[in-house]
Amino acid sequence: MLEIDSVTKRFGGLTAVSRFSLTVDAGEIVGLIGPNGAGKTTVFHLLSGFHAPTEGAIRFKGVSVIGAKPHAICRRGLARTFQIVQPFVNLTTLENVMVGAFNRTDDPAAARARALEVLEFVGLGARRDVPARALTLSDRKRLEMARGLATQPELLLLDEVMSGLNPTEIEAIIGLIRRIHAQGIALLIIEHVMRAIMALSHRIVVLHHGEKIAEGRPDDVARDARVIEAYLGAPA
Amino acid sequence: MGAEVLLGLALGALLLAPPFLPPYFLEILISVMLFGYLGAAWNILGGYAGQFSFGHAAYFGIGAYTSTLLFLNLGVTPWLGMLAGGVLAAAFGLFAGYLSFRYGLRGPYFSLVTLAFAEMLRVVAVNTKAVGSSLGLVIPNREPAAVNFVFGGKLPYYYVILAMALGAVWITRRLSRSKLGYSLLAIRENEDAAEAAGVDALGMKLRAMALSSFLTALGGTFYAQYFAYIDPTITFGPSVSIQGLLQAIVGGAGTVLGPIVGAFVLTPVSELSRAAIRGRAGVDVMLYGVVLVLVISFLPQGLLGLKKRR
Repeated sequence: MLEIDSVTKRFGGLTAVSRFSLTVDAGEIVGLIGPNGAGKTTVFHLLSGFHAPTEGAIRFKGVSVIGAKPHAICRRGLARTFQIVQPFVNLTTLENVMVGAFNRTDDPAAARARALEVLEFVGLGARRDVPARALTLSDRKRLEMARGLATQPELLLLDEVMSGLNPTEIEAIIGLIRRIHAQGIALLIIEHVMRAIMALSHRIVVLHHGEKIAEGRPDDVARDARVIEAYLGAPA
Repeated sequence: MGAEVLLGLALGALLLAPPFLPPYFLEILISVMLFGYLGAAWNILGGYAGQFSFGHAAYFGIGAYTSTLLFLNLGVTPWLGMLAGGVLAAAFGLFAGYLSFRYGLRGPYFSLVTLAFAEMLRVVAVNTKAVGSSLGLVIPNREPAAVNFVFGGKLPYYYVILAMALGAVWITRRLSRSKLGYSLLAIRENEDAAEAAGVDALGMKLRAMALSSFLTALGGTFYAQYFAYIDPTITFGPSVSIQGLLQAIVGGAGTVLGPIVGAFVLTPVSELSRAAIRGRAGVDVMLYGVVLVLVISFLPQGLLGLKKRR
């Protein structure tokens, strides 16, 4: 469904992502991990049209996304959340999600119905008329996911939707991600909460200094010497 | 419910009371409606889409000059000229908007570019003989004829501008409940997040621009017909641009009725301070400035922000 083929992104002299390749198949959950500054979020910016790669190809459902604007990529069925949550703070929770729902309809009533459905699904039903600025961090993370889901994606990119949450809230988000997956939506997830990403992912890809250093099943990746070195440094 | 009754009463008063008003008050009411109308037109781009134009005088002037020139040179009724001006202004708005938005001008940079476009048109008008240069254009004394947008008294002008203001409010209300309206609010709040959620920010902003500039131009034609005189400074000068955005910001940018409410507060304040402090030139403007500072300090969301849209 998603093919990233040897993509490089340079910002001036800095190479943020280097010859990076990755595929995500329909219905798959892929985890993207790596130390801070490894280039994970840059990969999301490349996929969602906020940056263009310096080299390489990115195809979604067989069609290149390079040069396409973010809204056009979203229209094709690839939605994302932001690591630093970006709610429309002066709009209500419901209105925030309606904006996403308008991706598939021009009819306000249909968008509203779709948004209400999604709000129930993510557990924000009771907060629908609250301005987004009044939501807790945990609810804002849910709102990010709800706005993405309302666009009816086939692939959803989640950028650290668990960071800053307590263990109970993390459990709830894990459950929510499982339910999203059960709807047939493929997921590419950036996450630092290892317990969660290990439990959720079918496959994990590790980025370090912009390069892929490991890829495989979660337990294999966790034992990989290069991965341990990337996170903890070389043994003395 | 209470609010609807109040609105109904206000509308009834606006429709029925003016024939019984002394001319001075009728004139003030016409100003209120014109400024409220211009505020409502600005509000679509500035309030909903959050693109603070400082140059709506460009569209106001295009409207005023187009209808007036068509009438003076070709005898085209200003009613048609009004539409022509609106279309021309929308085209110019799309041109200016495309250039600004395409190259990612946001916030104050966009504001400055719009200001520059309006000033550019003002300088062109000042230096073009065919449009009367700095002397402007006079619509000569004519027999009142509704078909030519010329009326005997002030009252018909009042009803024209009332209808235009109500029309602008109606359009805004429809907009606020449509996909376009939600998209514009999302762009105002956070353009990147809006794009990520599937909002075509460029396309939506251009639509807002076209609608806003079209409506503003109709106000320009009304002005020309009502005062029967236009010149580059009056129509293309910064004060027209400022007037429009002030009504909306004071009343509540991004609300349906904000600009009209703003006009009902600001215009009387301006008139009363001018009447109260006669003989000391400039003091009334200072007083007006103080009121503005107070409103913006204590009510940054505008008067209707008090009851905060949800």
